[in-house]
Amino acid sequence: MFTFVVRRVLLFIPTLWVIATLTFFMMRLAPGGPFQSEKDIPKAALEQLQKQYGLDQPLGVQYSRFLGNALRLDFGPSYKFPAREVREIIFDSFPVSLELGAWALLLSILIGVPIGMFAALKQNTAADYGAMGLALAGVSIPNFVLGPVLVLTLSLGVFVFPPALWQGPASRVLPVLTLSTAYIAYIARLTRAGMLDVLHQDYIRTAYAKGLPERVVIFKHALKLGILPVVSYIGPAAARVIMGSIVVESIFAIPGLGRHLVNGAFNRDYTLVMGVVLFYAAFLMVLNLIVDIAYTWLDPRVELA
Amino acid sequence: MSAAAALDPVVREAPERPSGLWSDAWRRLRRNRAAVVAAVILLVLSALAVFSPWIPGLQDPTAQDLALGATAPSAAHWFGTDELGRDTFVRTIYGGRISLLVGLIGTLVSLLIGVSYGAVSGYMGGKIDEAMMRFVDILYSLPYIFLVILLLVFFSRSLVMLFIALGLVQWLTMARIVRGQVLSLKNQPFVEAARALGARNRSIIFRHIVPNTLGPVIVYTTLTVPAVILQEAFLSFLGLGVQPPNASWGTLVSDGAKLLALFPWLVIFPGIALSVTLLCFNFLGDGLRDALDPHDRQDVS
Amino acid sequence: MESLARCPARYKVLAAALLAACASSCAPPAPPTGQATNQARYFGDTTPPQGQVFTFNNGAEPETTDPGKMSGQPDGRIARMMFEGLTTPDPRTLEPLPGQAYRWDTSADGLTYTFHLRPGLTWSDGAPLTARDFLWSWMRVLQPETAARNSGLFFPIEGAEAYSKGELTDRSKVGLAAPDDSTFVVRLHSPTAYFLFLTQYYTFLPVPQRVIEKYGVRWTRPENVVVNGAFLLDKWRQGDRFEFTRNPRYWDAASVKLERVICFPVEDLNTSTNLYKAGVIDWNPSGNIPAQFIPYMRQFRDFSSGRFQGVYFYSINVTRKPFDNVWVRRALNASVDRDAITRDLMKGSRDPWALFAPSGYPGYVPPDSIHYDPRYARECLAKAGYPGGKGFPKVAILFNTSEDHRRVAEAIQAMWKRELKIDIELSNQEWGSYLQATTQLQYDIARRSWIGDYLDPNTFLSMAITGDGNNRTGWSDPRYDALIRAAAREVDPAKRMATLRDAEALLLSDGPMIPIYHYSTTELVKPYVRGLYPTALDTHPLRHVWIDHDWQRKPVAAGAR
Repeated sequence: MFTFVVRRVLLFIPTLWVIATLTFFMMRLAPGGPFQSEKDIPKAALEQLQKQYGLDQPLGVQYSRFLGNALRLDFGPSYKFPAREVREIIFDSFPVSLELGAWALLLSILIGVPIGMFAALKQNTAADYGAMGLALAGVSIPNFVLGPVLVLTLSLGVFVFPPALWQGPASRVLPVLTLSTAYIAYIARLTRAGMLDVLHQDYIRTAYAKGLPERVVIFKHALKLGILPVVSYIGPAAARVIMGSIVVESIFAIPGLGRHLVNGAFNRDYTLVMGVVLFYAAFLMVLNLIVDIAYTWLDPRVELA
Repeated sequence: MSAAAALDPVVREAPERPSGLWSDAWRRLRRNRAAVVAAVILLVLSALAVFSPWIPGLQDPTAQDLALGATAPSAAHWFGTDELGRDTFVRTIYGGRISLLVGLIGTLVSLLIGVSYGAVSGYMGGKIDEAMMRFVDILYSLPYIFLVILLLVFFSRSLVMLFIALGLVQWLTMARIVRGQVLSLKNQPFVEAARALGARNRSIIFRHIVPNTLGPVIVYTTLTVPAVILQEAFLSFLGLGVQPPNASWGTLVSDGAKLLALFPWLVIFPGIALSVTLLCFNFLGDGLRDALDPHDRQDVS
Repeated sequence: MESLARCPARYKVLAAALLAACASSCAPPAPPTGQATNQARYFGDTTPPQGQVFTFNNGAEPETTDPGKMSGQPDGRIARMMFEGLTTPDPRTLEPLPGQAYRWDTSADGLTYTFHLRPGLTWSDGAPLTARDFLWSWMRVLQPETAARNSGLFFPIEGAEAYSKGELTDRSKVGLAAPDDSTFVVRLHSPTAYFLFLTQYYTFLPVPQRVIEKYGVRWTRPENVVVNGAFLLDKWRQGDRFEFTRNPRYWDAASVKLERVICFPVEDLNTSTNLYKAGVIDWNPSGNIPAQFIPYMRQFRDFSSGRFQGVYFYSINVTRKPFDNVWVRRALNASVDRDAITRDLMKGSRDPWALFAPSGYPGYVPPDSIHYDPRYARECLAKAGYPGGKGFPKVAILFNTSEDHRRVAEAIQAMWKRELKIDIELSNQEWGSYLQATTQLQYDIARRSWIGDYLDPNTFLSMAITGDGNNRTGWSDPRYDALIRAAAREVDPAKRMATLRDAEALLLSDGPMIPIYHYSTTELVKPYVRGLYPTALDTHPLRHVWIDHDWQRKPVAAGAR
């Protein structure tokens, strides 16, 4: 186990390096630069800014400086918000996205797994279709429709929840609901598929034949393995949901991490984008590692490669 | 009949008899009512999409009437009109054309890249396989939305670029699935036989192995189409989707959602069309997976 | 079993979709019904906040809160709360009133301004504020290392332009002096009628030298910042909010009634309007209401609109064929039905505009505007060599991502097709690429807008000078340049305005601009907010604002407050 973890952690470094390099050159190749605006910026000011940020150096020099700083976790100030360091921006917005994402994931598991199990047990019946139809609504109705609908009905219609912003416990409800619907669908589907897989195995039939009550068979024997696809999905899902949905963050005005990526790409904010991309990659890899470890705990037949 | 019946179970267990596999799967699929209904609905919608320019009496989707502006559904305009006075019914039908086109071509792109990549990687095995999969892992670690934005920003905002951008996002999972299948297939007797007959690697991969991976590939393809359509809708929300004068359901829905409080019909009708289509694709895909999944054979074992 | 399985499946698929339909149709699009009569006249909740706390949406996260470096309306609003310049705007007319300077003298030739600062001015940390602070702050903007985006506004000052470009290095040659602690002298190189207006612009606000030298770029953080204006920055969380408290050391602190001011950086227009409706914010500034909602909003008493010094126009890239031909430009201009766009498409929320400089400049009489004349347009096109639109090359209208821009572009595309029989494409780019294309002249026709910085037509007309960074069309006409330069040197106001009028007439007939509509301010202000008025430049000195908890007993006509 220990060697496995160590080897995986060592693999982080070359992966991050490749990602950093790819992103660096891709950003630089995009047309436009970080200092353009609708109102003309005086040439002297533009030259100054470029000198301050080192943009007047050849690309190779910029790249090596960037790598050196990145190793010290110093991504420099954001281009668009020069009074703030990229590190600060990420650490400021990450807890918000983390909270939003954790609630959304928790909710999707709490709703998705039971729906999937129910559908699997009632395969090919009206109940199966109904349950899956409900779950799949999450990937059939886009977030930017569901969000405004929820706001219009549950917030402005009855004034129960605030329409936006991230202050107070009531403000968590609508964004979490909106964000979780897609994941409910995926998790329900994965659970159903996983349970179906397991339920047709020989040892389950043996358990039934032995006379064990249905609840014991399902929860004690089937679920542990049936839920495996969900477990391996949670790693990348957690990373994606925490990077936030730009849609949810923009509709509900939540100061999360997702919009930094999108706005950063649009603003050509090189430093911010680099920081967020590397952060996301590192986070994803750590989550995948945790998930792989959890996987082996759940299914002892699987060996750690 | 009794002698044939005695032979039957043996024959049926051999996994590489395509006719047995497909007819079993077809039977199972037919039993899944939801999937059948979904397939029918999709056929109708596709026909509508393909033949829309030739449907008699259908107005021009780009015809504006500024003085009219947005009006609620009425006898003259079944789905109402938008802010430029364009008929929402026609726009929804033409939107289906664009959305289905985007979905299919985007999926096709990801199919082509994913299947080739996964098949080659799985068949080659060893260090090449490891390197190729490592590359896939790295690409997985990049937030895709960022990639798509950059792609659409670098190059022109044409429809072609959009297809490529959408396809490039989905091929990773396809590659992984295909590789997994190929890995389990490549040591089968029929592959050895082909090799013994002198077939070259490329021919073995594409003429023998790939056709046998068709099951999961079909399932995943059916499930990729709605994902691509949804992603195009998301890109429309960011302003990067299909460009005017073309309008997909994604464009219609994302624009309409912003006017939900005032003109709900602008989002309701294209939204229903979009949601029903996506639901159908998902039901069909799940049904196909149930049908083609070997574990699900209740008549064997 | 089978028939049972068949029916519900189909229904379940439809039911899930109908759920979505029901949810969205539950939305009430109609005017409010069944609410208290008071509420029915106002949009949303009208309960005033506890105490003197004013909350609003600033529209976007400011890039910086350093007045010398910043550029942009959201940034400017924050700066104006924390700092005060030599003059301060009147809350209604924006006329320069005494700010940090209680009086000023102008020399007869209009070249020298002498400002006398109030006695006893201090920064919020107690240190005295002197004329040397103004001198240092203005010189800082001019220094190339500062990379100030609005240094161009200082160029009327003698030596300022040369110094900012690095051509002049002797500071004493720049026309700024602080002979003693309370006197600040400015020397211009030519009479500038709008100079006093400039002194209230955010780039001209004073900044604390010691603090900047000590903390560098982090001097604007709440724990470091020192201000001389009405409000002190208390808390700041990026993307979340700014919170301000009263500055007790402000010279007029006695007249400031607000205790706290909170502002959010919400960009989404729907979200901003929803927040206003729910009563979370008290003021939804101009530009934060979706355009299509404006006709619906007009029925509410807390909605107000007025003229705003901004023009929405299309600029033509004259470096590309066929736009180098003036007759093509005239044809395009004369075939845009501005009335239809503003009346029908924008539902009257904007005024059509066929001039370049906006209205409301005191003393300025505009020239004849462009007329909508499709027949004349067709003649122009024929004269240009494309009769009936034949042979006209394929060109595109460029705009940045926004439904409003797209709608206007689609409408104009249809107009040009209908009247001139030419096919135009639309090109929608995201912001960065759009800016790149317009600055590098890589477009055919582009959507642009321009907002005035001060109340004088020069802020618009100077854009079209040859080589001006904001020109972005490649258009160059020496007659036009000569007229603008002559106006800049002219002392007599009437003659000056007449010269500017001639320049604008030339711009309209030969120039590369297709003006479309005049911007208006469209804002929502809760009825209990006093001291906030719609202004032509959409700037508001917030120190006059206060919350009237007694508002229901004295309802005031909308806009009067």
